[in-house]
Amino acid sequence: MKMPSIIQIQFVALKRLLVETKEQMCFAVKSIFQRVFAWVMSLSLFSWFYVNLQNILIKALRVGPVPEHVSFIMDGNRRYAKSRRLPVKKGHEAGGLTLLTLLYICKRLGVKCVSAYAFSIENFNRPKEEVDTLMNLFTVKLDEFAKRAKDYKDPLYGSKIRIVGDQSLLSPEMRKKIKKVEEITQDGDDFTLFICFPYTSRNDMLHTIRDSVEDHLENKSPRINIRKFTNKMYMGFHSNKCELLIRTSGHRRLSDYMLWQVHENATIEFSDTLWPNFSFFAMYLMILKWSFFSTIQKYNEKNHSLFEKIHESVPSIFKKKKTAMSLYNFPNPPISVSVTGDE
Amino acid sequence: MPTMIKKDDKAMEPPNEKPHRKIERDDVPESSNHIPPPESGVLKGGKVNSKTRALKAVTSIIADADENPQKKVNNETNGVQKQKTEDLSKRIGKFEYLFYKFLLVLLYICFGLFRYGQYQYNKMKLRIFSIIYNHAYTPQLIRQDVIPLKKIPKRLAAILEVKPVGDVGGGVTGLLNDASEIVCWTVSAGIKHLMLYDYDGILQRNVPELRMEIHSNLAKYFGPAHVPNYAVKIPHSNKIFYNLDGIETETDVGNEIEANQEKDKIAIEISLLSNRDGRETIVDLTKTMAELCAVNELSVSDITMDLVDSELKQLVGPEPDLLLYFGPSLDLQGFPPWHIRLTEFYWEKDNNEVIYSVFIRGLRQYAGCKVNVGK
Repeated sequence: MKMPSIIQIQFVALKRLLVETKEQMCFAVKSIFQRVFAWVMSLSLFSWFYVNLQNILIKALRVGPVPEHVSFIMDGNRRYAKSRRLPVKKGHEAGGLTLLTLLYICKRLGVKCVSAYAFSIENFNRPKEEVDTLMNLFTVKLDEFAKRAKDYKDPLYGSKIRIVGDQSLLSPEMRKKIKKVEEITQDGDDFTLFICFPYTSRNDMLHTIRDSVEDHLENKSPRINIRKFTNKMYMGFHSNKCELLIRTSGHRRLSDYMLWQVHENATIEFSDTLWPNFSFFAMYLMILKWSFFSTIQKYNEKNHSLFEKIHESVPSIFKKKKTAMSLYNFPNPPISVSVTGDE
Repeated sequence: MPTMIKKDDKAMEPPNEKPHRKIERDDVPESSNHIPPPESGVLKGGKVNSKTRALKAVTSIIADADENPQKKVNNETNGVQKQKTEDLSKRIGKFEYLFYKFLLVLLYICFGLFRYGQYQYNKMKLRIFSIIYNHAYTPQLIRQDVIPLKKIPKRLAAILEVKPVGDVGGGVTGLLNDASEIVCWTVSAGIKHLMLYDYDGILQRNVPELRMEIHSNLAKYFGPAHVPNYAVKIPHSNKIFYNLDGIETETDVGNEIEANQEKDKIAIEISLLSNRDGRETIVDLTKTMAELCAVNELSVSDITMDLVDSELKQLVGPEPDLLLYFGPSLDLQGFPPWHIRLTEFYWEKDNNEVIYSVFIRGLRQYAGCKVNVGK
């Protein structure tokens, strides 16, 4: 009875070996491809072509309708790191880099406001190490952004950064830093970046309820309505309008983000790519789609074919009324004859 | 370019004929004031969306150079930004500006062609799905489809909408029929709670008709002698109706005996929601809390997540696990925002009917999904 079990064990081991070698082969092939791709991209001619193509595409889209507020759920950094066998930290760093590139593109497209879900209140449940890494990374990126927003030569010059969320959960030094950066970038008005850092939408609503109640008690605003309520949210008047929400990495849910902003007439796009892989073209296609359909929608609202315009401008007296007509004014019907020949 | 309309849409809307007016009350608005997001608004079709019309719309942006939508928005907001965008056409020069406009139209046309192909592909896929997934009005088959799944949602929600009266399955009767079909599938699948949402609250206003419709449809699935018990709930006005209590019909008499045996066992609870349960309810809750605080019955520090959550659970209902949408592209239509925190969405691209394949595929997706709050 022992023989078959040994064979079985060996068989299983062989199978495992095969799977492992296959995985390694795949990984090797993948990395070779990546290297080749990177090499091609580094050719000056090719990169020149790529940059120019991007420029032309951006300038073209910019003359049409563009969403005012675009929002990102940056999901998939860790899976990205895992798939490339990198430490988790690298994944988050790559994610931060993607965000900066896309921000620049959004700014050039003429988008007024971008928001990103950087850290959820629920994320405090993650291992402490990772939370610390994220915090550190966040401060570094914050400094970098502030510096770039003030640099006249930088493409991100003139943008404003706002950190929204429940800041009582952060350390005092962190809060001080955030305040400082917000002050530095205060006077940028072309472009606003909202970073949702410890944020959940329910928390946002709760905070707004509390604020409204407090205001009511101090008799600042005797009547509460939806508009006032919306303006009190973390993102101010941008809260009411989020035209495009993009979620990466395949989940089809909102995960407590932008519930209030998105549940009415917003387009929600789900993408299966991981956030660090989310490229210019993927986003460009989404915005082009939005722009295409909103052009048609606007046209339909305006009703403005030439015929309709003329028809509208003619006073109603001159228009023939087709429906109101007496039966006796109709032309006579053909003669009626019965098959039985009755008179 | 893309036809977002079905073939039979072209012959829709016989003039001035509303055969279903009987059920529709006077207070029902003709069209809802909900503005859908661009894609779903265009894809839903209707008279105005034809291929030529889309082409005209797309090319029209060359003509109205002055009416750049970006500028229009900025005029309203403030003067500083206005100046800046006005520079846009000057800064890059008139000729270049025109060139980019032409390029954009070209891009639009390419995209439109691509989208049209995608639309046809999706429609074909949907047709195949409707052959593969067929319930054949048999609850056993539906249960058979559900059994291999690892898990099913506890609470299901669905967004419904009224279609134009002349369409197949349009008007209020179409809506009622759709609602009752979903009820039947949900009962057969073994899900105990169902939330039905429609923007204007038409279902809420037609509760008697809805109950009759559900009853007759359940009778069709389970046979007239074994109609499962159901409760229709309107959280907004806090009313519950059981089965056909209070409505007299011919089938009611024969049903009496059976109902007595299985009494108290409700197979499904249906809550009807409308736009009123969304933002407005939250604002109303705020008002009530403000008043309570004013008379010192509640302090501001007492307002916590748990309190608000439990209040909203009372007013609207618990959070659904899966939300089905039967339109061409996801449009939440103002579904109560507090309640979609972790809800999975499911919709089928370019689909515009309430069909069984969306239901069962939605359940399949839910069975495969992994929920990890914060992790």
